[in-house]
Parts: sequence; C-alpha cells; structure tokens
Amino acid sequence: MSSAPRPLSEAAEHAARVARLPLSPERLQIVGPTAELVYTLIDLMDAVPLGETPPATAFDPRWDR
Amino acid sequence: MEPYQLTLDSAAAEIAARRLSPVELVDSVLRRIDATEGAINAFACVTADLARDAARRAEEEIAAGRHRGPLHGIPLGVKDLCDTAGVATTASSKVREGHVPDRDSAVVERLLAAGMVMVGKTHTHEFAYGVVTPTTRNPWDVGRIPGGSSGGSAAALAAGACMVGVGTDTGGSIRIPAALCGTVGLKPTYGRSSKRGIAPLSWSLDHVGPLARNVRDCALVLNAIAGADPLDPSTLDAPVPDHTAGLDGGVSGLRVGVPVNHFFDAVSDDVAAAVRGAAAVLEGLGARLKEVTVPLADAMMAAGWAIILPEASAYHQGSLRERADLYGPDVRLFLEAGELVLATDYIKALRVRTLIQQGWAEMFEDIDVLIAPTVPLAAPPVGTAMIPWPGGGVEDVTQALVRLTLPANLAGLPSLSLPVGFDAGGLPLGMQVIGRPLDESTVLRVGQAYEDASDTVGRLAPL
Repeated sequence: MSSAPRPLSEAAEHAARVARLPLSPERLQIVGPTAELVYTLIDLMDAVPLGETPPATAFDPRWDR
Repeated sequence: MEPYQLTLDSAAAEIAARRLSPVELVDSVLRRIDATEGAINAFACVTADLARDAARRAEEEIAAGRHRGPLHGIPLGVKDLCDTAGVATTASSKVREGHVPDRDSAVVERLLAAGMVMVGKTHTHEFAYGVVTPTTRNPWDVGRIPGGSSGGSAAALAAGACMVGVGTDTGGSIRIPAALCGTVGLKPTYGRSSKRGIAPLSWSLDHVGPLARNVRDCALVLNAIAGADPLDPSTLDAPVPDHTAGLDGGVSGLRVGVPVNHFFDAVSDDVAAAVRGAAAVLEGLGARLKEVTVPLADAMMAAGWAIILPEASAYHQGSLRERADLYGPDVRLFLEAGELVLATDYIKALRVRTLIQQGWAEMFEDIDVLIAPTVPLAAPPVGTAMIPWPGGGVEDVTQALVRLTLPANLAGLPSLSLPVGFDAGGLPLGMQVIGRPLDESTVLRVGQAYEDASDTVGRLAPL
C-alpha cells in the first residue's frame, strides 16, 4: 500500500460532493488542509500489522438482551 | 465548615443522622453557586426552584423513614449533554438552543431515583467535542481552562457548587477536567453505565461516569448508575458489585504497573514528579511496582481519531447541512473533516482497536492496575492553542490533553483520575489508575489507599 500523503486539499471538493456536504470555496480552504492533517495522523496506523484481525464491533444478534 | 464544604459521604452521614437537612444543604450549595458563578460560569442553567422542591421532598421522605440511601438529598450537577426532563438540554450549543427533553437520560433517572437533588446543568464543550469548555473557567485560577469536555461539572465541583458532577468521557472528558480542576473523576468500563438520553460524540468510545470530591463519593455514585439497560445496546449485562465494599482493603501485594513508554513521554516535570511520588506512596503501602511497556502506543491517537471523527460526523449529518453556522468553529471543522474519513480507514481503526484490546489484556497478565499521568501538564491559560515544550517543540492543546487519556477509552478499561499534587503555581496535577474490565473495585481501592495516605484529594479551590 502506498504511503504517499493524501492530497485532500485538492480532493476535498470532490470528497465533499460525494458526501453530499455542500462546502463553499471558503470552507474548502479550511477543511481541506485540516482533513490532510487528519489523514497524516490516521495513516500512522499503516505501521500496524493487521493480519487477519477483525474489527472491534459491537453487534449482538440476540433479541432478549 | 459550611454544608457545601462537606464531602458527599460526610453530608450523607449528617443527613442520615438528621443533623443536617437536605434543605439546608441545597441552600448552602445554591448560595455557593451565587458566590462563584460570576467567576467560573460552570452552569448552563441553575435549577434553584426545582432543587429546593426536591430538597423539601427529600427532607419529608427522610423524616418519614423513607431514606433512599447515601445519595438522598445530595446536590448534583448534570452535564448539559444529558437529557433532563422539563429542563433545557443544549449540549452548550446554539444548535440545541431551547431544546427541552420530555424524558430523563438513564443516568439522571437513576441518580434522581436515588434521591439526588439536581442544582443545575453544567457546561460542556459544545457537544462534548473538545477538551477546553470555553464557557467556563478553572476555579483554581480563573485565567485558566477547566479542561473538558465535562469542564462545567469539574469546575462546579471544585468550587463547592455541587457535590457530584455527571460527566461523559470519549477521549478523556471526565478525567481531563478532573485532573485540571483537582477533583476525582471515574471513567468506568465501556458499557458499565447506560448512555441512553445522552447526545453521543462517538458511540464506540463514549462512557458516562461521575466526578466527585473523593474516591468514596465516586464509588457511591457508581453504585447508583452502573448496570445494564435494554434500551442502550452498548451496556454490559454484568452484575454490579457494591463498589464501596473493600474500598479500605489497601494495596498490599497489589501489582501496580508503571509504564516506561507513552505516558511519561513529554510531560511536565511537575506532573512526572507528582505521579512518581504517588507511585512511591503506593509502594510504601505494600504495592509492588512493575515497569511495563504499553503496546501499540504509537497507533493510539490515529485509531482514536479515525473512530471519533466519522462517528461524530455521522450523528451530526443533518444539522451540519441545515444549520452549520450554529456550530462553534472548532466543532464545525471537526464535523466537516470527519465526513471525509473513508469507511476503510474507520474499519482499520476498529481492527487496531482489537489489537489494542488484546495487547492490554496481555500487559495485565503481570499487573493488577496501571498508573500514569492523566494529562501532561497543569491547566493551560485560557486561549492557549499550542503547548510549548522544552526543546522547542509545540503541540496542539487538544492533542496534548487527550493523548494520555484516550488509551483507556480505546481499551474500554476503567480509569480513575485523582489529584496527586500541585505545581509551583498551586494548580492541581492528576494521576490515573487504569484497571481490568469491570474491575472498578480494584481501581477505586487503589485510589482510596492513596487518598488515605496523602493530603491531595478532597480540597476545594480557594475561590
């Protein structure tokens, strides 16, 4: 998997449209760089070998809880 | 001594012995609120009339022999994230201005059923999405923040303006303000108490718990709020012990882990000295200190934020599109950025969380509790955005305050913060005691042992 930084400053407008979140050009100027910083942090998880580890989810199918 | 200066446990004894009336007690607290609110602004609203009515009912019930227990007649501050029937619940946000729930949240239901007297709704950082609580000031120094997001509860408690505060903790929001305001604060095991009726920040990481003046007071409140709730699927169907039983059992032979990584990295000298001093106190009481390495430390913040951001944004999707301008700028930015986190990254974080759980379980094979600083420094001044560290580095204030508390949220483990010292300026310094799942009793026992052997717990701010 690539370890290149994610260009969210450029992609934020498209990403926001996919999310159906209308962001003005002014908001994009702020949100894009913040999202990039967020992903710089999130991408620290790339160093964790996940193997076959399942996600920690909480769904309990029993009806009589 | 004024009644508001009593601890919960002491006030409860006075009430049970009919030496103190709940009416006298709530009047004392309401006068204290009047005296301090101008300086600290801990309350979103003060419910003085409701409190006096509830105190009169408590007095009548107790006189009639219907004493509900140690919480009966005790003044309570409720974080304004938690629904209170007929009383505005705004999450300290313009988005919820004027919102009045018609049903109490589960935690409020249980505490009112125990006879507590709500004196008001305490300020939260907007929707719990921050660690500053900008509305409120620290009673130890009103030029400093109380921390957050349960900053109003911590500030009110530290000022003597309530005897118990309800808080919530997603990345540290009970323990951070507890540490910065010199109170005790308990984040229980994930799922130990119901979050029904509390606006979520991050369902997977949210916890609800008490702030109180000392360890026994926390234990008494935990007894009332713990337990499964069929209407909150995250709650655990596990028995609730009496958390005050064994509280005085001491720590002889207990294995206390002291981390060699993460928790003492980049902390102030005062904090490190205070926590290591507390460790020495516990060792002097017979505990066995053991150095441990915390697993996956470098991935904690990444995993935590990758969970919190999209979960928070999912909850606020509608409001963010319809009323974005009503959010504060910091919260709005987090919510918008959270919309851009990919589902695959969120799931990656949940997988890392599984490894964190496994790694901490392995670490706890050799220890009974882990002790560590709660936050790396004393309360920063109001308006601080970046924390300067020796050596020239700077750190975002939110990151700095969250990095030591977030691990216990990810691991879902109980964590008790208590004051273990004061810096050169007289500001409180906090230590956290982290335990095994559902082992709040051991965590509280360690806290009680430290409290009994020291003089740092139970002080009110000299406001």
